[in-house]
Parts: sequence; structure tokens; C-alpha cells
Amino acid sequence: MAALREVLIFNSKCFRGVRSYFCSSPAFQYSSLSPNNASSNVQKLDFEESDTKRISKAMKSYMERAKIHDNFIKEQLHQYNIGKRHLANMMGKDPEFFTQHDVNEAIRYLFPSGLYDPRARPMMKHPDEIYPKRKAAEFDMNGRPFHSLFYTSKPNYYNLLHDLAVKFKQLDNHEDKMIYRGIQDQQASELFLFGTDWVSKESVESVLLESLTDSQYSNLIKTMERFAQHRYAVREKNFIMQFRHQLAAQTEIQKIPELMRDESNRPFTTFSARRKRSNATVKVIGEGTGLISINGEDILYFKRKQDKEQIIFPLEFCNMLGKVDVVATCEGVGMSGRVGSIRLAIAMCLRCFVDAETIERMRLAGLLSYDPRERERKKPGQPGAREKFTWKKR
Amino acid sequence: MSLSGLLRTLPTINAINSSLGSLSLLSRQPYSMYKPFVKEPVYNIEQLDKLIESGEAKKREFVPVKAARNDHNVSVFYDDLTSKFVNMVMVKGQKELARNLVEMGYMKVKQIQLAKYYEATTDAERAEIELNPITIFHKALENCSPVLQLTPIKRGGSTYQVPIPITENRARFLAMKWMILECREKERKIHFPERLAVELIDAFNNTGKVVKRKQDLHKQCENNRAYAHYRWG
Repeated sequence: MAALREVLIFNSKCFRGVRSYFCSSPAFQYSSLSPNNASSNVQKLDFEESDTKRISKAMKSYMERAKIHDNFIKEQLHQYNIGKRHLANMMGKDPEFFTQHDVNEAIRYLFPSGLYDPRARPMMKHPDEIYPKRKAAEFDMNGRPFHSLFYTSKPNYYNLLHDLAVKFKQLDNHEDKMIYRGIQDQQASELFLFGTDWVSKESVESVLLESLTDSQYSNLIKTMERFAQHRYAVREKNFIMQFRHQLAAQTEIQKIPELMRDESNRPFTTFSARRKRSNATVKVIGEGTGLISINGEDILYFKRKQDKEQIIFPLEFCNMLGKVDVVATCEGVGMSGRVGSIRLAIAMCLRCFVDAETIERMRLAGLLSYDPRERERKKPGQPGAREKFTWKKR
Repeated sequence: MSLSGLLRTLPTINAINSSLGSLSLLSRQPYSMYKPFVKEPVYNIEQLDKLIESGEAKKREFVPVKAARNDHNVSVFYDDLTSKFVNMVMVKGQKELARNLVEMGYMKVKQIQLAKYYEATTDAERAEIELNPITIFHKALENCSPVLQLTPIKRGGSTYQVPIPITENRARFLAMKWMILECREKERKIHFPERLAVELIDAFNNTGKVVKRKQDLHKQCENNRAYAHYRWG
């Protein structure tokens, strides 16, 4: 029997040592869970003291690993704290009140790095932020799992889905009661969901402490979406909002540059934009007569009709055609790229001269978006990006 | 780049990662440089007004929008269908040439119609003659658009041509394609714009080769009506 149990339990996933949620009630809150140190579990279990109880092999090897990990984390924490004090001394600051922000600044000062990716640069963080958290013991000393869904290998994930099912039934019951009483209380879920979006897969994984496949994550989101569409979903607003994060309004993201004044006291702004290996710097001057200058020449610098129309596009859209002057310098390969960069720069500058409504209209018209499209590379074994060599059957 | 730097600092839609800006995608999705949730731009002033009035625009407050194409603009001379038509006429990326051909075609249409207009004696006759080439083009395309199309379906060893419903996009595409094919004359004696003008006016009057082609297709669909249920197996 013991041997069979060992065969069943001796699964690598058990020994990830991941924190498990002891859920007694169907509706548990993720935020209220406190970190459970593996070593404290050892003391709680008390098995080392009893002689009559036999420890299963699974539990034994788990305990060893948990101990090693625990000691490792302790050591790292100790090193981190000592390191912090050293840094504080080096920087001449009070070690007691040395925050993580100060630590980051000190590192940046003492170890200046020219590396591009911020993640490659030297850092000193709390071990909890660097080393992934692990679950506490998922089974007792006899190898019997605590969680009823342990053998799904993702108990927290499936538990969450079960919770949703239970809540759905509860909402349906509530709706039935309302219908019986004749109360029509329709509150659209769009109202409290507006301006938010579902959290990413990484966030869910870090909360559940289980890795999910893409299909499992999308399944979860679909279920939550269906749950949020219930007529009385607002009753479970707090539960739903745990899985949603706030979005920033698109117009707030881009800061509108300030209007400057030149020698003749005319207002102007400058903006530099890129498109497809070309860049342009454009100066739009208010109180103008509609003069357009590109690299010192007239709008006829561009020979194609399409290009000339593109320059005028943002001005026409904002009804600013004869009201502002445009002075542009552009460089780079290709006429289309140059025109695109000038257009974007003009649109960006015009934001200073129009009201907020027009800015939103410009954004919806696609005038304020950077165009990320680039020439697709040629692949080996093909003459072009998509073109293939002649297919020969033999 | 200042723009992409700004876009990177604040939280936006789920799972954004890029070196260029929050709108672009790395090699994960090969068919678009944009992420799936980025919306198409609406540059037509009327459509934009409608969008804002109906409240749809409010939903897009948090959604990034794609950059406007470089063949779109808000000029009074701009026509969506013409733009599409020019793209279909274009060969080897020669956009300017294609555009000139189509605009020459429109000029010829105007000349032909004006000739008729000046020849007309009564006011009633003059009122009937359509002078705007854009209107003629739209009506011609409408007259050339098929309502059904044939698709080959294999049943029991032989392939049958089964009539199936057609989408608006496909119908418009077929109309434009047939028009262009008819205008590309084999002998090359008459140039594209002249042929286009003649074909457009014929199609406007519901005559001509392109309309005939559409009617032939309809006849074929009618003949193969018995196989219509093959669509569902």
C-alpha cells in the first residue's frame, strides 16, 4: 500500500513546493492570504518527535528540499540586509532608513551600466522579488493531500473555476428570487467594468502560484467574462475586480507639448517623428497664412499627388489649412517614409492649437499613432519576403 | 523615441512589450505589425461624427488606434472606392501610374458625357445625363456586382459548381476585377483610360461586357440551382 502510494505521489509537480490555499469556504479572497513559510510547517507537523508514525518517502524528500530552500532564502536575506547596510555606509546615509529606492540609486551610482536592457543591469533586490515563491506542504506526513483537487496538479486553478460555478448558481438563485418578487433590477456590468481590462497570465500565475497554459488562461478569462455578463454580476463586483486592472485613457498617455513663443511673439511647437527609416522635425507656427516649407522648398518638394495630400491631411482635418505655417526638415530613405513622418509630426504639433475634442477625433482617425510597419526581411531559400522560388514537382 | 518612451511608461492594454512602441508586435504574429486589439482608424468625417454620436467612440477611449494609411485623406476629391480601384489597377507597386490612369479614365468619362450634354436639345434630356464620373463609377460597380457565386464542391468523385451566397466585399472585388480585365485590351491599340471610360458608361447603362459577364454568372447559378444543397453536405 505504501509502495503504491509512493508511486502515485512521486510526481515531480508535488515537489515544486508551491504554496497551497486552504479554502474552507467557496468564496475565498486571494489578497487576504499571508505567506506561509515552509519551515513553520515543519514545526506544526511535529512528526519528527513521534516514533510510531512513519514518514512517507515523498514527504521525506519534500522536507529535505524545503529545508534546503528555506536555508538558502534565509542566507540570501541575511546577505541582502548586510549589503543594504554597507551601501548605506558607502553613500553616507542612515542604514535604518535606507529604502529599496535608495538601494537602486546607490547601485546605479556605484555600478554605472551602459547595457540597453534594464533587466541586464546590476541590481540588488529583496530575495522574495528575485526567487519565485513556493507553495507550502500540499500533503501530510502520510502523503495524503490536503486539497481535494490536489490530483488535478493545479488545485488552485481548478478551485477558482469551481468557485465561479458556485457563484454563478448563487447569482441565478438571486435572480430567480427577484423575478418571483417582480423586481426588475438591471444594472449593466459595463458600468463597473469600464476602463479596466483582465489581468495578464503572469499576474494570475503569480497569485495562484501555478503555471498555466495559454488555453487554460483563456478558458479562465472566458469563464470570468461570462460570469461578469450576468445581470446581477455587480453583487460580486469585488471578486471580479480582483482580476481586472485599470487602463490609462489613450489621450492621457501622450503629453501635449507646451506652446512656445518666438521673436515675433507668434506661438509655435516642434515635434520629431519617425516612419520607416525616415525622420522629420516639424515646426508649426500659429497665426500663419498657410505657408509650407519642406527642406527649404515648397510643398512641391514631393512630386507625387498622394504625398502632397498627406501633408495637407492633418491640417484639413483640424480646419487649420490657412491658419498655421509649417516648417519641416526631413531626412532618410524613401519618399513615403518622409511624408509619413512629416504627417505625424504635423498632427502632433497641431494638438497644441486645437481643443480636446478635436484631439480625440484625430486619435480616432489614426493621425496621432506611430506607424510601426517596416519592410519585411528577405528569408533564406526565397527570392523575397513572401515570394517563393518556382516549385518543381521533381 | 519620445513617443514610444511615453507610451511605455503608463499602463495600457494587457501584455504590451515592444522596442518600437506599444502598438507594434514582434515576430509572434506574422501577418500584422499591430497587436490584435488595436482598432482600425476612421478618417471619414461623416463616419467619425456618427461614431461619436452613437457613443461607440467612448468605448475606444482605452483602445489604441492604428495609424492612418498614406492613401487615405479627408479631401473633397477623395473617394474610398476609387482608392480601392486604383490599388487593384496597380502593378509592381506603381501607384502614381495607376492613379493617373484611373483619373484619366474619369476625365474621358466626363468628356463623353459633356459631349452628350451639349448635344441634348431639351432640358429633360439634359437632366437625365449624369456628369459626375464618381457617381457613374459607383453605379457601374453596383450594376456589375454579382449576387451569387459558384464554388467547386466535390461529391462522389465529381466536382460540381455550386451556387453560394456572396459577401459584399467579394462582390465588389469581382466587379472591379472584371472591369480591369476587360479594360486591358490584348492588341493595346486603345489605351486603358479610354477603354475604362467606355466600359464604365456601358456598365452605368446596364450594358457592355462586364455586365454581360455578371449575367452569365447568374445564369450559371440558376442552371446549377439543383446542387445548392451540396453546400451543406
